[in-house]
Amino acid sequence: MMSDMEQPLLRVSNLGVNFRLEGGAVFEAVKGISFEVPKNATVALVGESGSGKSVSAMAVMRLLPKESAIVAPASEIFFEGSNLLKLSDEGIRAIRGKDISVIFQEPMSSLNPVFTVGDQIAEILCLHMGMSRAQAWRRAEELMYEVGIPDPRLRIKSFPHELSGGQQQRVMIAIAIACNPKLLIADEPTTALDVTIQKQILDLLAGLQERHRMSVLFITHDLAVVGEIAEHVVVMQEGEIKEQGTARQIFEAPRHAYTQALLSCRPNVNERPMRLAVIEDFLGAEGAVPIKLEQRRRGYRDDDEIVLEVRNLSKHFRLKDGIFKSRDIPAVKDASFKLARGKTLGLVGESGSGKTTVGLTLMRLHASSGGEVLFDGVDLLKLSEQDFMKYKRRIQIVFQNPYASLNPRFTVGQILIEPMTIHKLAASNQEAVDLAMALLGRVGLPEEAFYKYPHEFSGGQRQRIAIARCLTMKPDVLICDESVSALDVSVQAQVLNLLQDLQDEYRMSYIFISHDLAVVKYISDQVMVMSDGDVIEVANSDDIYLNPQQEYTRKLLGSIPRGWQNQAPG
Amino acid sequence: MIAYILKRFWQMIPTLAGVVLLIFFLFNWVGGDPALVLAGKISNPEQIANIRKQLGVDEPYWYQLWVFLKQIVTFDFGRSWATNEEVSHIFLTRLGPTLTIMLPVLLLETVIGVILAIGVAYVNGTVTDRMIMMICTVAMSISFLVYIIVAQYLFGFKLGWFPVQGWSESYWKNVTTFAPLPIMLAVFVGLAPVLRLYRSFFLDEINHDYVRTARSKGLAEKIVMLKHVLRNALIPILTNIGIALPGIFIGSFLMETFFSIPGIGREILVAVNRSDFPVIKAATVYLAMITMFINLLVDVLYKVVDPRVTLK
Amino acid sequence: MSAVISQTIAASPRQRQSPGLWTLAWRRLKRDKVGMVSLVVVAFFLALMIASYLGIVAGNWSKEVGVSYAHPAFMAGEENFEAAQMGLSSSAADVPYADLSSVDPLAPRYREWEERTAKIMVTEAPRAETLLLGGDKWGRDVLQKAVKGAETSIFVGLTAALLATIFGTVLGGLSGYMGGRVGDVLEWFYNVFTSIPYILLILSFAAVLRQGLDTIIFILACTGWTGIYRLVRAEYIKHASREYVKAAQAIGATHQRRMFVHILPNVSHVSLVQLSQHVVQFIKAEVILSFLGLGVPVDAVSWGTMLAEAQTELVIGKWWQLAAAGVSMAILVTAFSMLTDSLRDALDPKMK
Repeated sequence: MMSDMEQPLLRVSNLGVNFRLEGGAVFEAVKGISFEVPKNATVALVGESGSGKSVSAMAVMRLLPKESAIVAPASEIFFEGSNLLKLSDEGIRAIRGKDISVIFQEPMSSLNPVFTVGDQIAEILCLHMGMSRAQAWRRAEELMYEVGIPDPRLRIKSFPHELSGGQQQRVMIAIAIACNPKLLIADEPTTALDVTIQKQILDLLAGLQERHRMSVLFITHDLAVVGEIAEHVVVMQEGEIKEQGTARQIFEAPRHAYTQALLSCRPNVNERPMRLAVIEDFLGAEGAVPIKLEQRRRGYRDDDEIVLEVRNLSKHFRLKDGIFKSRDIPAVKDASFKLARGKTLGLVGESGSGKTTVGLTLMRLHASSGGEVLFDGVDLLKLSEQDFMKYKRRIQIVFQNPYASLNPRFTVGQILIEPMTIHKLAASNQEAVDLAMALLGRVGLPEEAFYKYPHEFSGGQRQRIAIARCLTMKPDVLICDESVSALDVSVQAQVLNLLQDLQDEYRMSYIFISHDLAVVKYISDQVMVMSDGDVIEVANSDDIYLNPQQEYTRKLLGSIPRGWQNQAPG
Repeated sequence: MIAYILKRFWQMIPTLAGVVLLIFFLFNWVGGDPALVLAGKISNPEQIANIRKQLGVDEPYWYQLWVFLKQIVTFDFGRSWATNEEVSHIFLTRLGPTLTIMLPVLLLETVIGVILAIGVAYVNGTVTDRMIMMICTVAMSISFLVYIIVAQYLFGFKLGWFPVQGWSESYWKNVTTFAPLPIMLAVFVGLAPVLRLYRSFFLDEINHDYVRTARSKGLAEKIVMLKHVLRNALIPILTNIGIALPGIFIGSFLMETFFSIPGIGREILVAVNRSDFPVIKAATVYLAMITMFINLLVDVLYKVVDPRVTLK
Repeated sequence: MSAVISQTIAASPRQRQSPGLWTLAWRRLKRDKVGMVSLVVVAFFLALMIASYLGIVAGNWSKEVGVSYAHPAFMAGEENFEAAQMGLSSSAADVPYADLSSVDPLAPRYREWEERTAKIMVTEAPRAETLLLGGDKWGRDVLQKAVKGAETSIFVGLTAALLATIFGTVLGGLSGYMGGRVGDVLEWFYNVFTSIPYILLILSFAAVLRQGLDTIIFILACTGWTGIYRLVRAEYIKHASREYVKAAQAIGATHQRRMFVHILPNVSHVSLVQLSQHVVQFIKAEVILSFLGLGVPVDAVSWGTMLAEAQTELVIGKWWQLAAAGVSMAILVTAFSMLTDSLRDALDPKMK
């Protein structure tokens, strides 16, 4: 006999979703999945991009775009006994916001920019709880307090753009819990936030879940986050569920090769294998278990040759403020560091810390406001534009957004040959082509890629092309500006391995800029922590993680999701 | 706010100077010798020189520019070369009829346009949507001239519902008899482009994330459109009205000509045909100033409509 | 060891060339039935224009080949009062002269001259009773006039749009990419031109320049570049801060290279759509200008001049010139408008 406690809150059965593409093609986003969300529990839906996790969650609320999305007729989504897919429009509307609510990834664009946050919270209260406007506003203020927004009485009249990212997400959460829903769907709610804010939001959600006794369906790509908050885990890849079970099962005894691969790809703060495991290691014909590789030792040594030295670098931005005044924004205040040959300096910080500006300024993509950049005995910042051309090819950069750093109208061949033409690095056209082909092979791309356009490649492949572009000039220093941040975990591992191989082979020195502390620790010899334009701390990476000197560094390290902690039962 | 307005006035000066220079360049330099045009068939050099003197075009250029600037500042452009009527008087008397037509047209076009556009955006993707867009495209490809000729013929001449042309002194008579046909015609023709444009505004807004949030709250689709989307679409709509506003001061010279409405548009057209430079110069400079003021007004209104805007 | 995506095949390289933007857009356009139909119609009009220019068709548009207000072929049987009038006025010569010898010294000689002129053979081609699409007041063939009018309008529209697009794109690119002083000056220039309402600007130019085709083209191009400038400038500003341009800067590409080799190919599709849109706009403007007598010279014909004549003709019930001009213009403009829309969708597909 099924007691009430055993009846799941949400039961998804055989859900299939297809998308209509231009030209009549059809894309299968979700290929018949089934899972459950029990009452009063947190279920994590994990997967990389293209796994179909967001699509599945949106299907529950019937929020998929009507023009292009087709839900397979065999699909069933049961919520408290009724099939949501069979409800009328009024029926599903009665449930939305009241019994099931959603929070999205980008809070800035998910809130209506022309209404106050108070209005937007009050709206849902008036709609489902039948409150008057005055009542709703009072309740909205209480909700804002509950989700941790300071000064709710004042802030309630603010517009979304006047709040920070974290506060905006709290407002979204307030809207979501306003009517005491039984199920909260959180679609990558912290992906766009800084790591310290992420921690706060995760704690908030955990607290709310307990207090309101609601279930949370948490969608994410970050396994560390999953380990911290979820009781049940559903692992998806390319529209299918590869494995599901309790968190303990998934983390301690993963059965499916894909789950094992996902768990291993991510650099662990406590280990540093010679190379990261990648999906292919697990999905090979034998389903091999990866060998535990030896650890790599990192750190600057006293006898290291210094290839680049930066002293007192500063960069101020001037913003016009009124007719005659202008504001001075110090993005980088006073940065000094050394880069050893063949080693990696990690530059870590949250958004607005100035880490990216440091990278761009020492390459002279921004004009500096002061300081020196000593390379090969010359101060690069003092050179004329013409003289600097000689040095340009020796310091190169790989940008963050793989979808924006390659010219969409150039073929890969044109992209690779251009630097050789500019710097006259090849004696003839044929030699340039040969070199380009060789580099494509070196970064793991086929020769045919030479004739293709960037849009035909995935994010990871585009980053490889960007790396190949830099390699054509054989630089001494390579700046990686958040180069792997936009990539899926498994792809990230591949690119990190590639970077490491290239460093080992060519003895290139890297400046690795990132907000991801685990990755930085994995790949860096020395780490520099920045915040608000200031350099907080510089030390060898092992030292800084084990023994952080500064308060801010400790706070930053403390915010890293710990992942699954093996808790003894009882 | 005051600081912002002052700053904008300050910034208007170079633009206005540019307009003045452009007009001066066109009419006093490129325009050739107006005396020859006005003298008509008189080829007596003495008389032509006399006319030149009267018009002041025999003076050196810098002096002419100085005179021009004085005229602008004092709002006194002298007299029409053709009718000898004072230019400022011309404008003041012709403004009334033009606005009597154009204000209702702008109002009706906007209101009806918004209502229809919301409706069409709501059924986006359906056959109705495509059909209506097709009708708009075809409607926009027929010249305004054809519409006027046919409308005048059909409703004025054949059916006799409205007078074919004319205007009167009495405001009430104008509004009830002479204005309706031109107004309805202008609105009818103007709706197609407005509908297409406003529809695209609404469709752009519908694709934003906040619409998905509104739906996820359980709001009915009607409320989503009429409350959330409309309010945001007002921003580009306001921009569009701001662009259209200066136009109502010229009016539609075609309509005024056809319907014999003594408005500014027709006056300018007549002046062009008669090479009556003072009238054209004055019209251009004043309309440029009006346009700049309207732009300023619209920018200030943005603050009301879009809270993200900070006036700096 | 990096992961290798696929095996390399030593196939003939040239065949592997991927389709670029324009090839993909063309394929998309081919799938768009409405777009293809519009393209065919536009191509037809263009061919017509060239044929008309070369004199292959409509060469005789100014010849008065028909009777006054000749009826269109499908109205052959109906009565044509005006033509009859014309006939009557020539038969007025049959009325005998009154003897005016007392007042008119030349009077006795009239009869003599009369007989002498009658003897001179004047080959006058018999005027047609009906023409395919009818005739105007002087008996000119409306169909030929309509074709000639198409030539005028398309020629003006295309040339002016081409000039305006080039002008607007170059200025917009400079302004958007360089910013700073150059950008400020160009913005000032743009502000001056847009402060004056469009029609007024056109009329001002028209007032000081002499009539003619090249004048209209000049006026339309000079006043119409502002829209394209605005769009191209915005595109350049957007792209100049994109990472692929920064990457080009990082590898050492000069400003010129960045502006023309990198950014321009990403912006050119915007210019193309604008070009198409302005052709439509300018055709409509030319018709109105010609109607007002400010456009084509007196000895040329345009749809506008046809409509000017049509105004008075309608009152006496002669509607075919209005129809011919109105309909042919409507077909061309509709086709061009739909082609513009299809071009935009083909070059930049979005969820509609």
